[in-house]
Amino acid sequence: MRVLGQIWTMAAKDLTLTARSTHSFLTTLFFALLILVIFNFAFQPGVEATRLSLPGILWVALLFPGIIQLNNSFQREQEQGTFQAILLSPVDRGTFFLSKCLSNWIFLICIDMFILLAFTVLFNPRVTLRFLMVVPIILVASAGFTAVGTLFAAMVVSLRAREVVFPVLFFSIIIPIILAAVSATQEILLREQLEYVGKWIQILVAFDVIFLSAGFLVFEYVVVE
Amino acid sequence: MLLSSKALQISRLRSAGRCLKISGWVLVPTYLVMLAAIYAAFLYAPTERVMGDVQRIFYFHVSAAIVSFAVFIGVFLGGIGYLVTRDRFWDSLAASSVDVGLFLTAIVLTTGPIWSKPAWNVWLKWDDPRVLTELILLVICVAYVILRTAFPEGHRKYAVCAVFGIIGALDVPIIYMSVHWWNTFHPVVITMSEVKLDPMMQQAGLVALSAFLLLALVLLLQRVSIRLHDMITKDILKNLREQE
Amino acid sequence: MSERFPGALELSRVTHNYGSVTALNSIDLALHRGEFCVLLGPNGAGKTTLLKILATLVRPTEGAMSWGGQFPERHQIGYVSHRSMLYEELTGFENLLFFAGLYGLDPATQRANQLCDEFGLSKSKGYKVAGYSRGMRQRLTLARALLHRPKILLLDEPFTGLDQHGYRTLTTVLKTLKSKQRTVMMATHNLKEGLELGSRILILDSGRLVYDVERKTISMSELEAAYFGNISQEVEGE
Repeated sequence: MRVLGQIWTMAAKDLTLTARSTHSFLTTLFFALLILVIFNFAFQPGVEATRLSLPGILWVALLFPGIIQLNNSFQREQEQGTFQAILLSPVDRGTFFLSKCLSNWIFLICIDMFILLAFTVLFNPRVTLRFLMVVPIILVASAGFTAVGTLFAAMVVSLRAREVVFPVLFFSIIIPIILAAVSATQEILLREQLEYVGKWIQILVAFDVIFLSAGFLVFEYVVVE
Repeated sequence: MLLSSKALQISRLRSAGRCLKISGWVLVPTYLVMLAAIYAAFLYAPTERVMGDVQRIFYFHVSAAIVSFAVFIGVFLGGIGYLVTRDRFWDSLAASSVDVGLFLTAIVLTTGPIWSKPAWNVWLKWDDPRVLTELILLVICVAYVILRTAFPEGHRKYAVCAVFGIIGALDVPIIYMSVHWWNTFHPVVITMSEVKLDPMMQQAGLVALSAFLLLALVLLLQRVSIRLHDMITKDILKNLREQE
Repeated sequence: MSERFPGALELSRVTHNYGSVTALNSIDLALHRGEFCVLLGPNGAGKTTLLKILATLVRPTEGAMSWGGQFPERHQIGYVSHRSMLYEELTGFENLLFFAGLYGLDPATQRANQLCDEFGLSKSKGYKVAGYSRGMRQRLTLARALLHRPKILLLDEPFTGLDQHGYRTLTTVLKTLKSKQRTVMMATHNLKEGLELGSRILILDSGRLVYDVERKTISMSELEAAYFGNISQEVEGE
């Protein structure tokens, strides 16, 4: 249980630090809003073709701010030298990874809920009880993004070309999440029957479990020279 | 790993030599089986009813696709091997597997249009699950290479690439499953697997598959050998420079 | 080896390469309990790499490290570098509390307060580290490193950039540690400090240990001669 305590201590520290310097968080929110606005111009609202593309639009809008957030997971630690301080402590490296995943996931969810709200306002999908089923999909998919993104962020933290290399790595691996999430959202938003949502959520959960475990196990090798 | 540099170099030289020797042994069987595959595909197998002779590329296309999945085993083992032992042989194995993977996915994505253009009048059918899967594999291989070139030589590079290789290899079955389900729920393509019921076609398919497996093995061994020799050469140059 | 030197921190044939550059070349070293080792050497000699290996931040390319026959545990090690390794947006107290939590110290608040008092940070502990002076940061960094009462303290050029006040505080702390028989290894450029504080002097050059004596056997001039004699750096003008 000490491990859970350590995870919470480190995640709480991240949350505290972000709460004190809301600048980057607010900027990410604004960036997310901008993407939706751009989509609003790129896709004519009210047209049938746009309605069919709504799931895709939503997930692209969820993805891009997420990338920025995840890429910078360890920037503060890297710049202020606290990365080493944490590595010096007796905390298991896998635990460090999980704590960073937790705080990243919480941030991602906050941003995602905001995007969902803005999406509803700008694109006017039918907001029924069924529409709210998108929320658990977002929660589970974000966990997958977080697992992969946090690991890769640690891998590229010292690279000068970090901004470009990270998206390349990230996108190559999370394609199954996009596929599953968009397909599930399509069913929820566009189809009458909900046949396969359960299956897609299964894939998302499997992805989350596999990559959280893998990240937990290999993080040690990424951070120790 | 308490080997001195000299002992390490000698051990690497031996590994490189061994890989080259084994690839030499496999080379002749590979040629023979490949010739057999060409014969089987173009002459032995009967002409397919619907598509005609264009379908024959199918044997090479599918074999390359199957083997392109298999190379990720090499990437996975190489990644784990390097993280555990820090021996660069494993890193060479992983990187060489990616090289072979690139080669094979390129074959799949070029032989595909040769078949799909006459069949469906489109060069690359994006909603075909197999095209999509192969494309994603290609993307992962390219991303691995980009990652490799972004780092200077050193343990960090090999460790990071090992981890990405492991993650990529773990992703491959998930990709396959999700694309497969996506196609099952909303089928876009009539799968060609029903066509391969003819026993002669099956035999041709097996021969082609064996040929590509052997080909991949030869290429892998040679790539690993080249990489190991490259390491040794760089070490020798470094020692010579230090002695000046 | 651990039979000959019980309770010693041992490095055996430790070599480390960064790519094609060799930072450390086959280092054999035994650090005894209670020793205050001063590590001297020019830039690029490998001092930082050696300290990082001792701190388990870096795994050497070749060679082994052990403490009493086992790999040293992280809660036994304290490490101070010239970077402060503190969270700028947290207060001094919060920083100490956070790290105390990571080390499993209980009660964390008591220990954090204790160290704030010891290092003269009681008045400023409620302020964000971003507003601290260099000297205050250094004191807080030291406090953080000593939170968990480490058996061995590693310092990488801790005097860099300190003002007089910070200098005095650091020297006092180090002398206290020395009197308490804590094991310390300190890398420094400053020969005078090294001689003043150290019980054992080591000189590192181009990744090799070229000099290793007990402090009481040499004088300042002898040390200078040894330092400049052993270092293979070219003098300007020649």
